[in-house]
Amino acid sequence: MSSFFFYLFATVLIFASLAVVLARNPLYNVLALVVVIFSLASLFMLLEAFFVGIILLLVYAGAVLVFFLFVVMCLNLNAPTFTTIEQSRFRSLGWLMGLTFLTEFFLAVKSFLAAQAIEPSSIRGTIEIIGKILFTDYLLPFELTSLLLLIAVFGIVSLAKGALKT
Amino acid sequence: MIRLRVYLLLSGILFSIGVAGVTTSRNVLKILLSLELLLAASNLSFVAFSRFNGDYTGQLIVFFVILVAAAEVAIGLAIIVLMYRHFSTIQADALKDLKW
Repeated sequence: MSSFFFYLFATVLIFASLAVVLARNPLYNVLALVVVIFSLASLFMLLEAFFVGIILLLVYAGAVLVFFLFVVMCLNLNAPTFTTIEQSRFRSLGWLMGLTFLTEFFLAVKSFLAAQAIEPSSIRGTIEIIGKILFTDYLLPFELTSLLLLIAVFGIVSLAKGALKT
Repeated sequence: MIRLRVYLLLSGILFSIGVAGVTTSRNVLKILLSLELLLAASNLSFVAFSRFNGDYTGQLIVFFVILVAAAEVAIGLAIIVLMYRHFSTIQADALKDLKW
């Protein structure tokens, strides 16, 4: 049963990520990324990483992608420069690069893990366990993250103020 | 039961699509979205390794990656809005000069 759900969400993930890259309308790109994040969170749930899956949904689908949508709506979608953005000159080179990455990943995974079949361990990423580790062993990185977010807020405010002046 | 290499392969496919998106698109917004795909692919392999190694560190790293990505997206979108106001386009080709 869980493998059925895995293949379902994996298929949705791949097609939605293709839509992120291929769709013409920027609004559809953002909405496809929402689908990507939802199926990724479902895969995290299948891997029993509950806390990270919920955080991914809340922060990404809830905040970051809504922010993306706001920006897409702020920019004038009907402007001719926006809808007729042509593809890059290096388009075929880019697809070749993606294909090279794909074959490299395939070969690496095949050569590393063909011999041993690692069984999944019985860990469960519940909020309690993750919170205990986060506030004991990883306290310093956690506090530094708050500093990083503060610096990001400063950066955005200074960018916006500079835009208002000119 | 799904094995580790299936998860890694899925993460590799996602990463390759993201790389192709970053290199092929001219739209700055689309480049930022493809960067999110790259981060999502690395998050998936982190969580898969965490599950199959029995170590919670991978999930914590995913937590930090999500937080850093939120800050990155906020600043990147602010720069995109500024760029649109200045050039009235969001094509990456418009950014030719070091100083505007």
